[in-house]
Amino acid sequence: MSAFSDALLAFTLLSVLMSLAAHRLVALVKIMAFQGIVVSLIPLFLEHSHTLTMGSILMLQVMILIKGFFIPGFIYVAVRKIKIRREIEPIVGYHASLFAGLLFILISAFIADRIYASQSLPGEYVLLMITAITTLASGLFLLMSRHKAITQVIGYLMMENGIYLFGTALAKQTHTQYLVEFGVLLDLLVGIMIMGIVLNNINSSFDDVDTALLGQLKD
Amino acid sequence: MLEFTCLIPLFTGIIAMFLPVKFGRGILVVTALLHLQITIMAWLGKITPGLPQYFSASPEGLLVLLVASFIFLFISIYAVSYMSVTEITSEPIYIGCTLFFLSSMSMVALADHLIVLWIAIEATTLMSAPLIFLHRSKSALEATWKYVMICSVGIALALLGCFFIVLSMDIGNVQVALTFSSLGAVATQLDPMWLKAGFIFLVIGYGTKMGLAPMHTWLPDAHSEAPSPASALLSGALLNCAFLGVYRSHRLLYQAGLGDFSSNILIGLGLLSMLIAAIFIFNQTGYKRMLAYSSIENMGIIAFGVGIGGLATYGAMLHLIHHSLIKSSLFLSAGNILLGYGSKLISKTGNMAKVFPKTFTAFFAGFAGISGFPPFGIFVSELLIIIGAFQKGRTISVSIFILALILIFAGASRLVMKMSFGKWDEEILVDENWARVLPSYALLLTSVILCVWLPDSLYQTILSAIATIGGSVNG
Repeated sequence: MSAFSDALLAFTLLSVLMSLAAHRLVALVKIMAFQGIVVSLIPLFLEHSHTLTMGSILMLQVMILIKGFFIPGFIYVAVRKIKIRREIEPIVGYHASLFAGLLFILISAFIADRIYASQSLPGEYVLLMITAITTLASGLFLLMSRHKAITQVIGYLMMENGIYLFGTALAKQTHTQYLVEFGVLLDLLVGIMIMGIVLNNINSSFDDVDTALLGQLKD
Repeated sequence: MLEFTCLIPLFTGIIAMFLPVKFGRGILVVTALLHLQITIMAWLGKITPGLPQYFSASPEGLLVLLVASFIFLFISIYAVSYMSVTEITSEPIYIGCTLFFLSSMSMVALADHLIVLWIAIEATTLMSAPLIFLHRSKSALEATWKYVMICSVGIALALLGCFFIVLSMDIGNVQVALTFSSLGAVATQLDPMWLKAGFIFLVIGYGTKMGLAPMHTWLPDAHSEAPSPASALLSGALLNCAFLGVYRSHRLLYQAGLGDFSSNILIGLGLLSMLIAAIFIFNQTGYKRMLAYSSIENMGIIAFGVGIGGLATYGAMLHLIHHSLIKSSLFLSAGNILLGYGSKLISKTGNMAKVFPKTFTAFFAGFAGISGFPPFGIFVSELLIIIGAFQKGRTISVSIFILALILIFAGASRLVMKMSFGKWDEEILVDENWARVLPSYALLLTSVILCVWLPDSLYQTILSAIATIGGSVNG
């Protein structure tokens, strides 16, 4: 675990906290682009990085391209189109969300510590595990505590980043098959695109992307 | 090359997107025929997977593939006639996405690698989403949004479950490929705690897609808002594919000696789904929503049967086949009813027996079938599950099971009676025709035939599929 990867993990945590407190949607998208790039870079600076192959470098570039540019770019276009700049009246306020984010860090530190203590895993990835659980939990939190459909998509993206970090923290590189990893990434990309299309349609039918308007279907 | 079952619909789907509508409809039916042919060749053992590190022809996969391929053929015949009488703004997209959907479902059926299975199940969500919001009405948009968000988040959790299973391999120092077949052989060396954690996340993820309560909330909306051929596909083929994910995870735990743990979870979720369906079906206002809740119930029955084990597992597999046949037939009939009355509300329909005799026959027979009356196959499968549960001494759960069945029958029959014989004296919008009722008849007839005569290869395949989780016909 080099100092550089520690710094990257700190940046990831910072981006998580910033996204929880972000008012403006454009700022939120920029934070997600930053987070996407940082998260894709982390595996490069882990212990097993000296076994870098052609395949893994190529995969890294594809991942940065998709997570750092394509997906945020796509969401950015959607934000521009819908003319809504801010998340007004979130279900949970910004200060409370920030506080929740800090709590998630505490709880995940506790969980990660317990996991490593009980399973006699090599302790070098504890920080990575803490970041992964925090990102995952904050993504889910963002998904549930905001009204606007765009913020929910960003929450989903953040959750996916957390799961990806979890994968790098847990799995040895020997299991990685680039074809499979690329498939996961492709699913994510197409998923965000479809969400974007549905979002645009919601915007043109309802004149808003507030999911509170989506309440016709119930029993 | 078994992968042709995925590749052919993929290519024809791309072609259909760019061709005029008239050709597209033809491509739909031709692809369905080709797909069925390849599937049957795979059943005869003539073709094998080209990429054995990712795909395999497992018995349960072949079973789901055959069911999906079979009902897809009839649904595509119906869809051609359905599309000619409804106005669909972007029909090439509809045809293309239907074919992509078939492709991704075939991939689920054949996938052996854990993550490839995940990719395929997520792909089914993405490819079927455009089918649901085809009409672009406000309610259709809402249904699509819920479907995509709930299923994507659920399936993302399943990916976490996959990573937990990878971790259980690392802790147990197991060096094999990350496929269900090779993991099964060394299952006892995997770390039990992480295997259990992985199973829970996999069941939450794939269970969301399968419609198990309490993760079922997207299902009634999506099934009722999608155009009827798409609803039939969602209910008849997609839910089985998601079940395959749950089934394979359960088998891994069984092989690791943790079968009791996963069985109890499946039984619990199954019974909960049935009870939730029983409650919500009672005062249902829409007939497509009613059918959707019935799908939740039937997925609950299958999960229950698999969880019980022994004879009940055999019953669950039979139930899977017959539910797909009968429920897709019911959704196709519901499409005719929607065309005729122009409303999804039960209160806006009535006197079907007089107005729509052909559709009425299919709908009422389908309802009798789904409620478990002979000569339809669900009678046999539910009976086997109940007997299997008694053999295992699960008296309390089987009583809840029977109670839920009775409640659902009582709730649904009231609605179906109202639709069939209630008052109605207004204009009919679109009359029924043979092209839109024959597919329903054919699906129902298949269920009747399979009830009295099960081909030996089908029987053997079911047996070898359930043998690995301790299921057999001898209890």
